[in-house]
Amino acid sequence: MNSRRDFLGALAASTLLAEETSSARLPHFAPKAKRVIFLTQSGGPSQLELFDYKPGLVKLAGQELPDSIRQGQRVTTMTSNQKQLVMPGVTKFARHGKSGTMLGEWLPHLAKVVDEICLVKSMHTDQINHAPAMTQFLTGHQLPGRPSMGAWASYGLGNESRNLPDYLVLLSKMLRPSDQPLYDHYWGSGFLPSRYQGVKLRSAKDPVLYLRDPDGLPRPVRRSMLDSLAELNQHRLAATGDPEIATRIRQYEMAYRMQSSVPELTDLRDEPEEIFHLYGPDSRRPGSYAANCILARRLAERGVRFIQLFHPDWDHHSRLPSWCTARCRDTDQPSAALILDLKRRGLLDDTLVIWGGEFGRSVVGQGDWQSIEAGRDHHPRAFTMWMAGGGVQPGLSYGATDDFSYNVSEQPVHVRDLHATVLHLLGIDHARFTYRFQGLDFRLTGVEPSRVVRDILV
Amino acid sequence: MGIWFALFLLAEPVNFSREVLPVLSDKCLSCHGGDPSGRMANLRLDTREGATAKVIVPGDPDASLLLKRVTETNPRRLMPPERSHKARLTVKEVATLRAWIASGAPWGRHWSFEKPVRAPGRSIDSFIDPKLTTKNGPAPRHTLARRLSFDLTGLPPTAAMLAEPSYGALVDQLLASEHFGERMAMWWLDSARYADSDGFQADATRTNWPWRDWVVESFNRNVSFRQFTIEQFAGDLLPNATVEQRLATAFHRNHMTNGEGGRDPEESRVDYVLDRANTTGTVWLGLTLGCTQCHSHKFDPITHQDYYSFTAFFNSIDENGEAGRKAKPYASYASPYAARAVAEAERLVNERRPAEAAARASAEAPFAAWLAKQRGVPQAWRPLRMTSLATAEGTVLAQAADGVIVASGPNPRQDDYRLTARVALPRITGLKLEVLPPFTRGKSGDFLLTDIKVQVRPAGSTQIRDIAVKNAIADYSADKQANNNYGDIRDTLDDDPRNGWTTIGAPRTEPHTAIFELAEPLVLAAGEELLFEMRHRSTVGDANLARFRVSATDQRGPAVQTLAVAPLEELAKSGLTPALRERLFTQFLTDHAPYQAAREALDQAQRQLDEVQSASKVDVMVLAERATPRESHILLRGVWDKPGDRVQPAVLPAIGALPPGEKADRAGLARWLVSNENPLTARVIVNQLWQMLFGYGLVRTPEDFGLQGEQPTHPELLDWLAVEFMENGWDVKHVLRLIVRSEAYRRDSRATPEMLAQDPENRTLARGPRFRLASWMLRDAALAHAGLLNPALGGPPVRPYQPDGVWEELFMGRFKYEPSEGPAQYRRTLYAFWRRTIAPTFLFDSAQRRSCEVRTSRTNTPLQALTLLNDQTYLEASRVLAAMEPVRVFERVLARAPDAKERAVLEREYRRALAHYQSHPGDALKLAGGSPERAARMVLASLILNLDEAITHE
Repeated sequence: MNSRRDFLGALAASTLLAEETSSARLPHFAPKAKRVIFLTQSGGPSQLELFDYKPGLVKLAGQELPDSIRQGQRVTTMTSNQKQLVMPGVTKFARHGKSGTMLGEWLPHLAKVVDEICLVKSMHTDQINHAPAMTQFLTGHQLPGRPSMGAWASYGLGNESRNLPDYLVLLSKMLRPSDQPLYDHYWGSGFLPSRYQGVKLRSAKDPVLYLRDPDGLPRPVRRSMLDSLAELNQHRLAATGDPEIATRIRQYEMAYRMQSSVPELTDLRDEPEEIFHLYGPDSRRPGSYAANCILARRLAERGVRFIQLFHPDWDHHSRLPSWCTARCRDTDQPSAALILDLKRRGLLDDTLVIWGGEFGRSVVGQGDWQSIEAGRDHHPRAFTMWMAGGGVQPGLSYGATDDFSYNVSEQPVHVRDLHATVLHLLGIDHARFTYRFQGLDFRLTGVEPSRVVRDILV
Repeated sequence: MGIWFALFLLAEPVNFSREVLPVLSDKCLSCHGGDPSGRMANLRLDTREGATAKVIVPGDPDASLLLKRVTETNPRRLMPPERSHKARLTVKEVATLRAWIASGAPWGRHWSFEKPVRAPGRSIDSFIDPKLTTKNGPAPRHTLARRLSFDLTGLPPTAAMLAEPSYGALVDQLLASEHFGERMAMWWLDSARYADSDGFQADATRTNWPWRDWVVESFNRNVSFRQFTIEQFAGDLLPNATVEQRLATAFHRNHMTNGEGGRDPEESRVDYVLDRANTTGTVWLGLTLGCTQCHSHKFDPITHQDYYSFTAFFNSIDENGEAGRKAKPYASYASPYAARAVAEAERLVNERRPAEAAARASAEAPFAAWLAKQRGVPQAWRPLRMTSLATAEGTVLAQAADGVIVASGPNPRQDDYRLTARVALPRITGLKLEVLPPFTRGKSGDFLLTDIKVQVRPAGSTQIRDIAVKNAIADYSADKQANNNYGDIRDTLDDDPRNGWTTIGAPRTEPHTAIFELAEPLVLAAGEELLFEMRHRSTVGDANLARFRVSATDQRGPAVQTLAVAPLEELAKSGLTPALRERLFTQFLTDHAPYQAAREALDQAQRQLDEVQSASKVDVMVLAERATPRESHILLRGVWDKPGDRVQPAVLPAIGALPPGEKADRAGLARWLVSNENPLTARVIVNQLWQMLFGYGLVRTPEDFGLQGEQPTHPELLDWLAVEFMENGWDVKHVLRLIVRSEAYRRDSRATPEMLAQDPENRTLARGPRFRLASWMLRDAALAHAGLLNPALGGPPVRPYQPDGVWEELFMGRFKYEPSEGPAQYRRTLYAFWRRTIAPTFLFDSAQRRSCEVRTSRTNTPLQALTLLNDQTYLEASRVLAAMEPVRVFERVLARAPDAKERAVLEREYRRALAHYQSHPGDALKLAGGSPERAARMVLASLILNLDEAITHE
């Protein structure tokens, strides 16, 4: 894009917005949430085992899914040539909390904080395969090339932190190759200037690429070198008058600050023992989802605008009981701990926590539904997510599906509506929040109708 | 006021295309345009018929409803309405419309759909200068040489170029350089969304790189852009097509391919067809055809039917929507560039082989000395004494004196055992698990271990670290096929509960042994504890281990790679035999660092050689027609399996008809694109060339010449250049030469505050272009400055330095990035392997290569600063440049001498760095592998490579 925009972008947020958004100043109105922690569960967690209790299915087990329910719905080629037989949920459900919310037995920790969360059981999306669905879930469109939600937030609202990027991404470190790689366009800036893209925090020696100075170049030497660099660049600025040089000087300074702020952030040694108990044994392993949840809380404390975790491998086409419980074990305790931890610190009120994946799973058993081999295929027409804090009603279950958890029966929430709602909580009117590219005013929610789900707001 | 404006404007007739149409387009057409599905009030303003039928009375502004509605005071009737979030028309816009209607509302076409015409006998500057009140003089010679050299070759100028007194001669020399084609190819590869892998889930590697070399050659031979286009669209359809002409068609196969399981290949195939049409639209026509996939274009005169007729040209390719190695059609191609790469790789192997042999030979003596001291070890494996025996689900574990651990108490269906031990060994190279009968308390009597983890917990630390396990072996593994995928011991290393180790099928009365070899010897610091986690998470469960023992060893090589008795244990028992001596030598070598270094270097060179040898002949994805064409249809709302009316291949009627006598096939399409009758292509291409040299095009939306695109800053100049291009046979070098010889291009780029206030974006071109160089040029320049650059042309891709683990993190080890060794490391960035899902990390602001990109992105971030400071390529270049005085480095990089102030800062910084390294010579050794002077000079070289001027096109 043009460098003038970037120069201005590096100035105060108000200047930036006046220059960069075609809409009014942001936020449009007082935000409920100052920041977002998005716990992205990649692969499509099964709502039937975890959230959407359908006791009636037991009687229908093994029967063909009625045409009145399927309505000619497309399935993937993985199950398009088998019979569509009903497989009831394999977990026991129980009521929890004052709200009496039903949850599957694989989420014992979430059950303890269920009064803090809002379940949305009527989510639906358009895409049935992973990459397009995740791309739509995060960017509003199934093809790569649009900015992700975090990039929009970063572009619109800037940052509260002086020493860290606006939008940070943490991926769980797994031992097994996942079938769904996490593409960097999931946190990309699309057509927005690239400085709005998510910065990936790695669980490696360099949490941010190229962060570490080479061996034998200690901080005082770097400091001195950058001082001289700035002095020479200032000299050049005077000679050429190019304001871009002023931005460059500032960006080198930000780089220097990040060299200490990022390691300080990722070093969990100052966390008390009690915190590791809270987040569970896996939290001691750097790069685990649990450790990333602790990092998410630290990032929230430091004023980072959009924090996004990715936990892969929820794509349970087979052996649902062993495979899905493994992912629940990774995520259940840390996710619940994060809510408790934020709440204790008074951060939950203005931090929106979102948990969910790109779609749900089908009531139809994949493979022989009675065998331990059975799993479930992708299902875009109905799935469940949850949210907590940041202006969302706690202890609420919103929306409903039919008896098969196949179609949404009440209060449908399209992923676009989710986008509109998240922006709303951040104080942004999604309809007015646009960016001009290729002659069109693009927005996160696209051109199809979308609505803020006001019923779930406090 | 309105009348005043109208009178003023009447003096000069309103230009419909430049003044009226943009207002209509921006404010009205999204609801009253060419797309019937979204049209409101059954009113269309994109045609004169539509507009005059309802809301415009030509010659009578006051009777025209249009003017009333855009000036309404009642907000409910005002157009555009509030819900459109469009600003109301300005007073000037209203006056323009009024004057235009008063003059009879003459209609016309959008400027870019009219053929460019030009006044004869003019020069580039004659279109620019009359609009300027002030302008800069020419840039200094060294600045011009740098500007020109980067623009035309992507490399910094050589000393000889800097000494060339004639600017014209320098231009000719650079245009004749073989690096010219490489520079142009980088532009073209972004447009072509070229990559060395498919993208999407599997992201399989492809071998289309011979097409990249074809592009370089075509630019170097200055093939006319006409021919260049025709071969890429239809090389296969040309009479007596050569293999190179077929190769050229890979342009239209460079799109991503999706092999995701469960995806319908036909859906993918349709995506590719549309991608080709959209790419053609963006790159050649400057049209956003993608908008027309779902509905008629709201702004530009392209209907839904036009679009699908256009895509039909690409609908009968003999392809099937598959990815990976099944993405036919292919052309098998033996690249003439492969031999050089093979020879280079062979030389490296031949250089390293003697070093490996010598290292082996020189290990003999220390081995003999070591062997002489060995008495053998009576017990290579030591049972671990556990300090803690925790379980997740309640199994009670207890350890007996012989180290055997026994389970009792609750017997959950699944459980994780977390064993902690303090280990007395000086190091740990492997762990042994002995499974003893009865294996389990489960009903079947067979155990099932799904995964293991080895971890270390530092004393007093809250965190643990994972220890990598390289391999696992067992004396017996059950047949996976027969046992629900359970059996293989190696599956205990993958953290997947759907597989694991079991000994089903073997007698349950005999013990079994498994050995886990650590990737690196593990040395525990004082107080550190070893954690061994055993997970029993199988699907059915009820197969947790009940009796077992865990041991550790410090032996490397055969001891942890085979189940046989460890060599040193054998030595203790039975004395030395020749066979044992050989095993002991193998063990010794695995532990002998000098040999391992030489061996690893040789292995890497050998792997590289194997790789380039396999590239001698490769399959390139190309175009070929099916014997029977597919039927083409409109796709309703753009959905692949919702066909509407049938369509035939046809060019876009709004732009012009197929030339007479042309068939409606890809060749006809190509000739239509580059016909001198086509109003768009020449304009769009010269605009991209202009952008390459000035940072911005004359149309600043190079991807959109339609109604919503920006108007050209210099419309007559754009047309003049377009005609010049066409009339000179679409000669790319000719156009570039014309532009770089203009005064506008050669102007100094300095900006006064007044200039910045008046024209911050330099739209008037009063000053020369100043912008940050592309990141690929920065890498190439660093290598060139340091004398490291390997200037070879073409061949299979190479892998420049990248931080460890970047690919592995994304693909969990499925793809491993091993940086190229030897001269291959220092090739130009053009040849860097481009994995589509994870672009080279050292590039920033690069095109994503997912869909075509013709606009350059240029941002300024702290991450870029970190890259230039700490990327290995820049550090290595600085290390080499440290052989020179900082002032010389400054001169080489900036092509000028430092002034007094700059010299003073460099000297001061050198003294400060030197002072540090003199008092810390260890740091100097670590940083620069040399003296304090050397390290200080390296810091200075790095500083200079990071100067704003060094990374900027001035």
